[in-house]
This record gives sequence, structure tokens and C-alpha cells, in this order.
Amino acid sequence: MSLQAKLVITAFALFNVLFVVELLRKRKLSESYTLMWLFVIAAVVFFTWAERFLSSITSYLGAITPVSTLTLLSLLFILVMLIFFSMKIYKMERLIKEMAQRVALDNPKGNVDSKA
Amino acid sequence: MKFPRDDFRKEGAIVLPVFNEEMNLRTTVDEIRGAGIRWDIVMVDDGSTDGSREVLVNLPVTVLSHPVNLGYGAAVQTGLRYAVSRGYGTVVLMDADGQHVPSEIPNLLAALEKGADIVIGSRLLGEPSGYRIPLLRRMGITFFSALAKMLGGTKIYDVTSGFQAMRLEVARFLAKEYPVDFPDAEVIISLGLRKFRIVEVPARFRTRVHGSSMYSNPGRALYYPFKSLLASFIVLLRLIGLKK
Repeated sequence: MSLQAKLVITAFALFNVLFVVELLRKRKLSESYTLMWLFVIAAVVFFTWAERFLSSITSYLGAITPVSTLTLLSLLFILVMLIFFSMKIYKMERLIKEMAQRVALDNPKGNVDSKA
Repeated sequence: MKFPRDDFRKEGAIVLPVFNEEMNLRTTVDEIRGAGIRWDIVMVDDGSTDGSREVLVNLPVTVLSHPVNLGYGAAVQTGLRYAVSRGYGTVVLMDADGQHVPSEIPNLLAALEKGADIVIGSRLLGEPSGYRIPLLRRMGITFFSALAKMLGGTKIYDVTSGFQAMRLEVARFLAKEYPVDFPDAEVIISLGLRKFRIVEVPARFRTRVHGSSMYSNPGRALYYPFKSLLASFIVLLRLIGLKK
């Protein structure tokens, strides 16, 4: 990987660090998600500068260039994150369902009998 | 037909999920009362956007209102949770779209009296009532009926029927966990695996006059078989997980 590419990736990573910290400051992101993204950014910077490590993975995978390896790892990471967020969305759906049902159950209207 | 027991009048609830059925609600309630059924009618409004809420307010029924649309299964579950919390001994589930004929309820209850835990009112048993099931849907019903028999051990021909009567134990079980959408074969399999006695009896159905079915959306109709197939096998896996 060229020095320019490394610098661009690192600059972009730093920008992302500032961005997620700002989101946390504005209460638009939780501490747990901020930490997760900071770890991800750190991993990207690590892989970018740890050339030997990245090269050894590249040769192990049979990839042509380290950039290909980074792309592959990124795609795998995105896939994992999508599954993770699908789980989160499902959890939210269940919570919304539970809340809406409780609202309905706690406020029966009309011909409510006296069994309660 | 007379009700199976004299103490029938206040021991059960008729639960009807409602979503945009303003044109059918009053007729449905009138028909239930007209059939001599004095049980409490519990209508669960699943975030209707037409005038259903306004109509419901003026009907002699208990109304539970979801603030947002959650889906048919969630509305059924809310009704079941309410019925369980009130201690009703029997719960009848039926649609508010006029397709289920209230005068058939005593037939379902008679089968409960004979020892069933849950009774399914079936379009596919008995004399044809003129209710037409589209070919594709009929094929789906046949397939999932076979699947329910294979996985759950109980042969039910009309697995998609929402016209049901159940004992409190079944209502309690279903109130805990109920599929949000298309609660058909999945529920039959789940109940069968837990050794509930499921009985199917003939019931007349009518063609809906107002509004549209949840199966009429092409996207949902396409999604239905895949969802039901996956859910049916997952029921089995969950039970295996529980036994371990």
C-alpha cells in the first residue's frame, strides 16, 4: 500500500473519531456504540500501518494485494454489523410491541366487565 | 342451537382483532348478539386508520386500542392477554370482517365440551358453503396442512383458519408468545408438539363484502409461504432446545 493511501485512510479514520465523539457529545450516539466504532477505527488504522501482518493475511488468503484483503475484511465486518443491527431492530420491534400492547391492556374502553 | 352449558353466558370472551373494518364492525357485533351469545366481546383495534375507532366507541364491546399498527398476530395476542388476565375460561377468536359466521360458535364450543383444548372452525370440512378459496391459497393451505401433520402430529385441513375456540390453558400458552404475522401452521405445530388436543369442525365462512384481506397484498402473499415454512421448522428447533 502506498504512503498516500495510508495517509488518506488515517486521515479519514481521524475524521471518523472526531465525528463519533461529536455524536456522543450531542447525545446522538450511546457510549457503547461510540466505543464500538472507536475500536473499529483503531482496527482500520492498525491494519493500514501493520504491513507485515496485513501481507501475511493477504498471502494466507491468496489475495492479490493488501488492499483486497482490507476490502474483504471490511465486507465481512459490514455483514456482521448488519446482522447485529438486525438483531437490535428486532429487539426494538419486540419492545414497541410490548409497550403498545401494555397501553392497550391498561386502557380498556367500553363494556369492560368487572372480573378484574 | 343451544349453548353446551347453562353457565355459558359470562364465562368466556369473543376476541376480534380489528384493522380498518369500520364497515363490518356493527354487523359483526349484531350477529354475535343475534346468535344469542352474551359473552364479552373484546375488540382489539390494531391502529386502524379508517373510522373503526369511532365506530367501536359506540358499540357494546370492550375495546383495546394499539396506538400503532402491530400486525394481526399482535392484536390476537393482546386479546388473549386480556382474556387471560380477566380469567375467562374460554376464548373464541374470530375475524371482524364478516367472514366468520357467529352462529357457528356453538358448534366450536360443543367440540370443546367433548374434550378438545382448541377447536378450529374449518372451511374445508362439511358441506360447501359457497366460500371460495383462491387456487394458490388453497395449494398453500394443503401444503402447510401436510407440514403441520408431519411436524406437529395433528392433521388439520384448514390451517389458516382464524376462527377458533380454546380453553384458558391454550389461551395462556398462546398469550405468552404469538407470531406477529401469519400465525397459521406455526401455531398448530406448536400446540401439537405440546400435546394440546386440537380438533377441527366444519364451519360456514362467507366472502368478505367490505375491505381487503391481509393476504391480498402481493408482497405479503409472496412473503407468507417462506415465513411460514421457516417459522414451522423453528418451532421444532425451539422445542428441542427446551427439552435439552
